[in-house]
Amino acid sequence: MPFPGKNGNSSFQRLVLPLFVPALVLVFWQAMSELGYLRPSILPSPLAVAKTLAALVASGELPTHLGISLFRVLQGFGIGTTLGALLGLAMGLSPLFNRFLSLVTGLLRPIPTIAWIPALILWMGIDEGSKVTVIAVGAFWPVLLNVFQGVRGIDRKFLEVGKVLEKGPWTLLIRIILPSALPSLFTGLRVGLGFAWASVVGAELIAASSGIGYMIMYAREVSQPDVMMAGVFVIGLTGLLMDALILRLERRLLRWHKGWEREKG
Amino acid sequence: MKQSHDRLTLKGVGKSYPLATGPLRVLEGVDLEVEPGEFIALVGRSGSGKSTLLRLVGGLEEAGEGEIRLGERLIRGPGIERGMVFQEPRLFPWMTARQNVAFGLKEGTAGPQAGRTVEQYLQLVGLEAFGDLYPHQLSGGMQQRAAMARALVSHPQVLLLDEPFGALDALTRIQMQREILRIWGESKGTLILVTHDIDEAVFLGDRVAVLSDHPGTLREVIPIPLGRPRDRSSAEFGRIRTEIFNQFFGESQG
Ligand SMILES: Nc1ncnc2c1ncn2[C@@H]1O[C@H](COP(=O)(O)OP(=O)(O)OP(=O)(O)O)[C@@H](O)[C@H]1O
Ligand SMILES: [Mg+2]
Repeated sequence: MPFPGKNGNSSFQRLVLPLFVPALVLVFWQAMSELGYLRPSILPSPLAVAKTLAALVASGELPTHLGISLFRVLQGFGIGTTLGALLGLAMGLSPLFNRFLSLVTGLLRPIPTIAWIPALILWMGIDEGSKVTVIAVGAFWPVLLNVFQGVRGIDRKFLEVGKVLEKGPWTLLIRIILPSALPSLFTGLRVGLGFAWASVVGAELIAASSGIGYMIMYAREVSQPDVMMAGVFVIGLTGLLMDALILRLERRLLRWHKGWEREKG
Repeated sequence: MKQSHDRLTLKGVGKSYPLATGPLRVLEGVDLEVEPGEFIALVGRSGSGKSTLLRLVGGLEEAGEGEIRLGERLIRGPGIERGMVFQEPRLFPWMTARQNVAFGLKEGTAGPQAGRTVEQYLQLVGLEAFGDLYPHQLSGGMQQRAAMARALVSHPQVLLLDEPFGALDALTRIQMQREILRIWGESKGTLILVTHDIDEAVFLGDRVAVLSDHPGTLREVIPIPLGRPRDRSSAEFGRIRTEIFNQFFGESQG
């Protein structure tokens, strides 16, 4: 690496640089608390939050709630992305099918996931079903749109190569169309997972008796701002880790793509 | 390429593209008979319809007028007996060089024999050590050679090459010209190679087909009565080159 400073790839830049701003914020926040500018009943100090966080982890309360939320995400994300990918593929492959569904998707897509929650509770009750559905809806749209665009945007030149070699429709799909849409699928999965995570917390905030969102809401009701803040922090951290996980998977599966993009300039 | 006994016949072939401003006539009245195992070099200016003509033979476009036959059979669409190497390599970026070459095999071909065939063709184009690399890890010339191997593994009767050496430097180009002659010599299939390099056309072709432009018509098909290997510096070579050059720029400037 001749110019590490320009690439932003040295380990200093990768691991240490991102920590500066959070550290600064924490120090400032702690100082304000120490100086008495922040009331602990409204915004407890970072150290107090950290202590609470440690206690919540030790007692098993936080891991339990987090586990419940994650399990919901797993189910909803699985359902939502599967349906989104299949429908996106079908719409991308068939302009007729796309036309057929265009009004429905155009109408439903702008509705924020959160707006579905009251209706879903009415139809499905407060239990797992409604929450999993909300998550599925959250993950569904980004995957649908990205897969659709990925399939539609396939380079016709590649398909011509397949046709000259007299490949059947199945081979064209598996060996050409799907691989070339894979980068878009991953974009959809990343955005979808973020949406899914945001949706579960949203659903739990509104109606639940377990999960990380519920933990925060309950903490507010019983005036435990430190628990509230610890919960908020954990939501962010979990989202970050999930994104990193999916990025890692993408890097592994799409090694060819990065190099290809770079070559094309 | 396979020993082929089918003559390729183009009769009154014409092609127009519908544009907003009216139809654009690209090819008109192209007559050409290509003997089995013959090497045709097709030259013409940029935009004269060389790629279009090749795509018609490849079955990727439909001719508006006239007909194209391979043997008795009318060409209506693409077929694996007509291999094609495009103007750009068109390797699949998600496949290694080896997988790309293997993709050229006939649908349903698999097993150790298929694997050996793929290796054989990787070797033929000098990529045996690079089979596991992805296209972006290959040089432009290597990519074009891999594309060539992909078109060759299925032993097409007719091989259509659209300026396969266009992106190569002069040295690699000359080396690739020798390679293509060797590959063609080993298989004795029919070969049509598009180029805008007159020197290349005279060096390679049994006959050189000259395409005029707007609309593209076959101006002349010039037989090259030279044995192989050809000597580019010989007087006869120079005479033929000048003759073709004059087709484009007129006698006065020859
Ligand atoms: N799909 C298309 N739609 C409309 N016009 C086209 C299309 N394809 C080619 N043409 C036109 O046909 C003409 C011939 O194009 P073609 O690609 O066959 O030229 P060429 O001889 O291969 O040129 P080059 O040496 O630059 O590759 C050009 O004028 C081009 O604009
Ligand atoms: Mg061309």
